[in-house]
Amino acid sequence: MSRGFAAGAVVVLGACAGPTSASPPAAPDAIHLGPQGNVGQFVVQCAPSHAGFDDPILYPGQPGASHLHQFFGNPDIDAMSTSEDADRSTTSCDQRLDTASYWAPALLDASGDVVEPIDVVAYYRAAVGVDPASVVPYPQGLKMVAGDHRAVDPQPTTLVGWSCAPGRARSEAPPACTPRQELHMWVTFPDCWDGERDDSEDHRAHVGYSEEGACPPSHPVAIPQLDLAVRYPPIAADEVAGLLLASGDLTTAHADFWNLWDEAKLRREVDVCIHGDVVCTLGPG
Amino acid sequence: MPTTSRLALVLAASVVVAAGCGSDTNDSLPPSPTASASTSVAPSTAPPPGTGAGTTIGDEVGLPVIEALDVPADYPTIQAAVDEAGPGDLVLIAPGVYRESVTVQTDDLTIRGVERETVILDGDFTLDNGIFVSADGVAVENMTARNYTVNGFYWTEVEGYRGSYLTAIRNGDYGVYAFDSTKGQFDNSYASGSPDAGFYIGQCFPCDAVLDNVIAEHNGLGYSGTNAGGNLVIANSVFRNNRVGVVPNSGSYELCYPQRDNVIVGNLVYGNNQGDTPAIDVARLAQGNGILTAGGVDNVIERNRVYDHDRTGIALVPFPEEEARDDEPSQDEWDTTCAEQRTQPLADELPSLLLWDSWDNRVVGNDVSGSGLADIAVASVSTDLETLRNCFGDNVHDVSAPAELESLAPCDGAEPTEANWKAGTLDVGSWLAEQETMPESVDYQEAPLPLPPQLDNMPDAATAPPHPATDVPMEIDVDAIEIPERP
Repeated sequence: MSRGFAAGAVVVLGACAGPTSASPPAAPDAIHLGPQGNVGQFVVQCAPSHAGFDDPILYPGQPGASHLHQFFGNPDIDAMSTSEDADRSTTSCDQRLDTASYWAPALLDASGDVVEPIDVVAYYRAAVGVDPASVVPYPQGLKMVAGDHRAVDPQPTTLVGWSCAPGRARSEAPPACTPRQELHMWVTFPDCWDGERDDSEDHRAHVGYSEEGACPPSHPVAIPQLDLAVRYPPIAADEVAGLLLASGDLTTAHADFWNLWDEAKLRREVDVCIHGDVVCTLGPG
Repeated sequence: MPTTSRLALVLAASVVVAAGCGSDTNDSLPPSPTASASTSVAPSTAPPPGTGAGTTIGDEVGLPVIEALDVPADYPTIQAAVDEAGPGDLVLIAPGVYRESVTVQTDDLTIRGVERETVILDGDFTLDNGIFVSADGVAVENMTARNYTVNGFYWTEVEGYRGSYLTAIRNGDYGVYAFDSTKGQFDNSYASGSPDAGFYIGQCFPCDAVLDNVIAEHNGLGYSGTNAGGNLVIANSVFRNNRVGVVPNSGSYELCYPQRDNVIVGNLVYGNNQGDTPAIDVARLAQGNGILTAGGVDNVIERNRVYDHDRTGIALVPFPEEEARDDEPSQDEWDTTCAEQRTQPLADELPSLLLWDSWDNRVVGNDVSGSGLADIAVASVSTDLETLRNCFGDNVHDVSAPAELESLAPCDGAEPTEANWKAGTLDVGSWLAEQETMPESVDYQEAPLPLPPQLDNMPDAATAPPHPATDVPMEIDVDAIEIPERP
């Protein structure tokens, strides 16, 4: 067979600053591709929990101020939620101690109807090239946004992209999947943290991406890289072109993560699966 | 050094057995508090007399004394004992319902229940794995894991593992599972009610592993092994009333493809048409087959008794992988070990559809009957069947697909006496469309399950010395194994 890249981690060039830049790049310079089983990871699958015109990160305390988001995981999260008061007793995730919240703009078909997602699959790993032993759990209450909801040009596919299966190279636009393949919208979250803040004024400055396996001095703390796949039912080839996101054109793909994991369980997962470089769970093939 | 109690051989055994047998301990115990977060909660019952610390009768009567970390007598939870134990230690668990998820990161432990049926780990459909092992040489023996959202018993990335006298019921992915692990053994164990496989060994070549004397029923798949082989023997076991029985399979969604070199011998495989089980998609796709290689290479399937299947008894078929993560290794790469393959680069261009054919398999001396489509079969959707080099011989059977298969593809270099590969072929391509007509998966939390059969307790469980998984797999005399009788 003809081979070109190292198994398990295909390097894809993104639109990044050079390695000597003081601030972190705006997108990953590489993502994990290929078969699962070569890199330590833990994986959580979460059914849709609820939908709403709320954005607890961008518009906290302002119900109805956002475009339509589909939420996964913690079912009690809305614009009024706080880290301190969030109910952590239930989740839509198969890992019952993952009471974090994940959300993404609703996907709309050409008629403007919501395409109901199947679930999200959250892959947690050390980012490509990052020493797994250096990764620390997210601080409680950490809020992150990945992808630009105002983008008018395609974003780097290392940051957001589409595919018909995990482990495949992502494309800028949704491909036409077979009737047996789910459509995946991928969003790769920052893997470096400033070590101090759980949020920031623009909701981005407190986290960033590593480059060539290293976190920048401004964001020196390596955290797990969350590769989030929002999975949709197969969409017919002639319907793909009409897809939109509730945030606008498909170029506006993005997602949000609020760390409300059970703290001890998250620490255990990072310790065993990432530090140990162990495949604790496999995502769907 | 861990704090250990000194468990006497003779007296402890008699007392423990008396305390554990003859009643449904699960029901008789007061319910344990539900575990919250990652805290583990021990059973609220007192330990049976005789297993607590300070029971040192063994040396008083001149018998050797076993050092054991007793749960709950000395440690309130299994996790607490495991965390305290050092390599070579024995963690010995008294009857009770343990609502915890145990992580094992210490090599060469033996973790044992004193009685299989009454030492119960219960995930309450909340906790993920019953026992999760990422350390080498760990043996888990003589206990039950039920109601976990992921796996009952799981080893990952280890060298040396053994699961003996285990019962896994109603777990959300697999019952008893080893991934990316070598030198292992599952024996005398039982698994039911998982949507994926009751027993699974995945991503290893060579695996150096044995499944011996296990029973899998009412799972999506009785046994599944993705990309697992190389000195992997599946013997003397029962796979019944699953959606599909025994399924070695290939796919590039995990490493170590293709699946190669299993010996499947002396098994009783019947009634794998069960439509009321939990089931992943592949289980619905493959429903109604006994032993099915789905893109398997160089397997030996011999002296099994296989009967009552809606589709086939023993079939060698392709696995269609859409959106593959790599392309198929060429045949001159089939001796590549898993360790070598993981360092190789991926293909530049990935196929949108990869059809993993079944090559070089040997199907001999089986007794196959009662199959809806064919007792023995080989099929492909892309390759001429005669080029796949599979062979069939000395199988008791009725219909084959293609017809006269043993004459078309005899073993041991014999000349074929038939040449028409087109008569009576198996339309395996139609199975994709038929998947949607198969009964829907039933929620694993609610699927009807049979009561387990009478299952053996580990002999001398309360008194046997620790036995870490450093001498696995067991030696198995494949040639001496005969076709099992019908039950």
